[in-house]
Amino acid sequence: MKAVARLVWSYFTGSPVLRAFTLIGSTLLLIDFYLLMTQPWSDEKLWLAIVGLILLFIGSSLMPLMFGRLARSHSVGVLPGGRLKLLVSAYITILLVALPVGVLSPASLISASISLPEIMKDPRMRGFVIEVAALTFTSAVLFAGWMYLAMWFLTSQRNMAGLFKGLLVIMLVVFAPAQEIRDFTVSLTWNLQQLAVAWTVFGAGFLLWPRFKAARARRNRERFAGLIRLFTGRAAGREFDVLLGTSNPWLLVAALALPLLLMTRFVGDIPSVWLYFLTIFSAVTGAFSGQAAERSRALWLRGNWSRPELFAAVERSVWRHNAHVLGALILLTMGIGAYAHFPAAMLASGLPLLMLGTMLSTYLGLMITRGLRWLEIVCGVVVMLLLMVLAMLVAREIVDLSAVFALEAGLVVLAVSLRSVARRRWTQIDWMVCRPDRALATRDA
Amino acid sequence: MTSTVEASNLSKAFGDKQVLQEMSFGIAPGDVIGVLGKNGAGKTTLLELMLGFTAPTAGVVRVFGHESYSLPGDLKARVGFVPQQDELLDQLTVESQLRVIASFYPRWDSALISRLCDEWGVKRDTRIKSMSVGERQKLSILLAFGHQPELLILDEPVASLDPIARRQFLEQLLTISADGQRAIVFSSHIVSDIERLANRIWILKDRKFDWQGDLDSLKESIVRLHIRGAGAAPAELAIPGLLNLQRDGAFATAVVRDWTPEAQEALEKSASVQVEVEALGLEEIFVELHR
Repeated sequence: MKAVARLVWSYFTGSPVLRAFTLIGSTLLLIDFYLLMTQPWSDEKLWLAIVGLILLFIGSSLMPLMFGRLARSHSVGVLPGGRLKLLVSAYITILLVALPVGVLSPASLISASISLPEIMKDPRMRGFVIEVAALTFTSAVLFAGWMYLAMWFLTSQRNMAGLFKGLLVIMLVVFAPAQEIRDFTVSLTWNLQQLAVAWTVFGAGFLLWPRFKAARARRNRERFAGLIRLFTGRAAGREFDVLLGTSNPWLLVAALALPLLLMTRFVGDIPSVWLYFLTIFSAVTGAFSGQAAERSRALWLRGNWSRPELFAAVERSVWRHNAHVLGALILLTMGIGAYAHFPAAMLASGLPLLMLGTMLSTYLGLMITRGLRWLEIVCGVVVMLLLMVLAMLVAREIVDLSAVFALEAGLVVLAVSLRSVARRRWTQIDWMVCRPDRALATRDA
Repeated sequence: MTSTVEASNLSKAFGDKQVLQEMSFGIAPGDVIGVLGKNGAGKTTLLELMLGFTAPTAGVVRVFGHESYSLPGDLKARVGFVPQQDELLDQLTVESQLRVIASFYPRWDSALISRLCDEWGVKRDTRIKSMSVGERQKLSILLAFGHQPELLILDEPVASLDPIARRQFLEQLLTISADGQRAIVFSSHIVSDIERLANRIWILKDRKFDWQGDLDSLKESIVRLHIRGAGAAPAELAIPGLLNLQRDGAFATAVVRDWTPEAQEALEKSASVQVEVEALGLEEIFVELHR
């Protein structure tokens, strides 16, 4: 239990920044609870709760990273009950992050209607408040669980499989609650069933994974060798791209197309939802250009290029990759547009949106030559917000083309600025600062 | 003849942390330099400065007469590097990885690589993902040998190798260095390997070279003295270059640096003692320097 408590404590307080987030988030939530219990309802209290929850969630964002690293480490197999303790610590973290939702939701009801003693006297009211608390808490547990899972995939598996899994989970997280709200299908029983299944399956899978892995290793994997080579083995003539990881855009295309095709099952013909997802998907390419700087370390000694020339070569290579992905996305958008009856104006202004999403994320990624710092994170958030605003403008029933084009022109300028920053950074790139994680973990000074 | 590497007043800091300070050195063809230092002493930083991965905070390092930070392609093709952590592509086979790297060099000795693959037991159709750490390290070393570099820099290359593979690797390095045309710089914590292979030693301590010179001079310079007094050992022994002193009745044992026969004579006369000099192994020297 001590180990579990220590793990949970580390998730929330692992670094000074995260500690600050956790502390401020918790304080805001406590203040909000106090205000809800003592004062009448107001919108400000809702925002206070939302900000507090976001800060608390960010404060615990070390959990998926630590969980992933420890789960892959050898030490967790040697420590007594290592995997079980790790799993329990993750579940407790999810419960702790979801707890404020379960407390504040009924508190807001009390604040909005009658006092707590009155509610406790009335069995029907009491039952209702408890049901609301249980319902919101279980929903929050589910939501937080999926978000952590997506973060785990995206941060610990920095490859196609991780990206694909992360995207699928994000889709589920974004779409499922909306569907439940629209169809009024949410219920405590349904939440508990989902929780029981999800946690049991994940827990069993996590605990049994070492056995499964050993059994899989025993099987003859050569059966699939030909197939693997088909996807990964073609290197001749594209050696630069191979070292940079941009030689095969088709896996990313597949990783993006498959969720989109699955979504036709759920989303139906709601253009705005489609546009929202397509914008997110267009920005995914940035994740790949974000690895270019550290991967280019292996290229530095192997070619006749200065740092600016290497940037130009990397940029070309990244665009060769991303142009394929963008092309595929545009084709998919046109297909989806036909299926979901996109208005012509939306289609005309939506396609540049995808191009801008790809452009901006590509140069944001290329800017990362010193690891992820505040500036890059802030830029990323701002870019995503601007893209979402543009998507909203495009998705309106009557599209204000002048506003759309003005924003698109602004985003083009932003993309050019980001490219200029990226280029300047690459002229001074330092591969001792920018190197793959696994090397960082063990290297000497 | 142009020096392979020349550095003057080389300093490097990461933010506030000074890692290397005003180091000057030269490397000539035929040099086999072993770099020793405690963890965090700056070995990797020093090697990567030579490779142009990072810019010096002050000073300059030139490789084949050109600043390493902006090394042109024809000079890079004369440099080989084995990183501490391999930079292999998991999804490729050994064969594909060899071909990918070979394609970057105008000159690639396929026969040498084939022979070494056979000798070192590296199977060309194996997927890199399924290789052990030691096997990956062997492949990293092969990738650095293929273009027959004139300057070979190896950052702890043998850390993951078994004794047999280590021996094979050292023999190969000896073969490479035998023609006297190439320079090899390698860091390692396995002092016996450095002792066996290197003709020059760099010992890093406190952001600087604590020793920079050939191995024989180092062994002559840092020695252990067995001092015997007529009666009890003198309370105050004025020993120049003293690193460590232990007394035991009429005996004293001292480790000293920059020791010379003249210093011995002077000590024997001034303190009325008999002094016996014992040569130290490189590992003992390293430990004594870091006490």
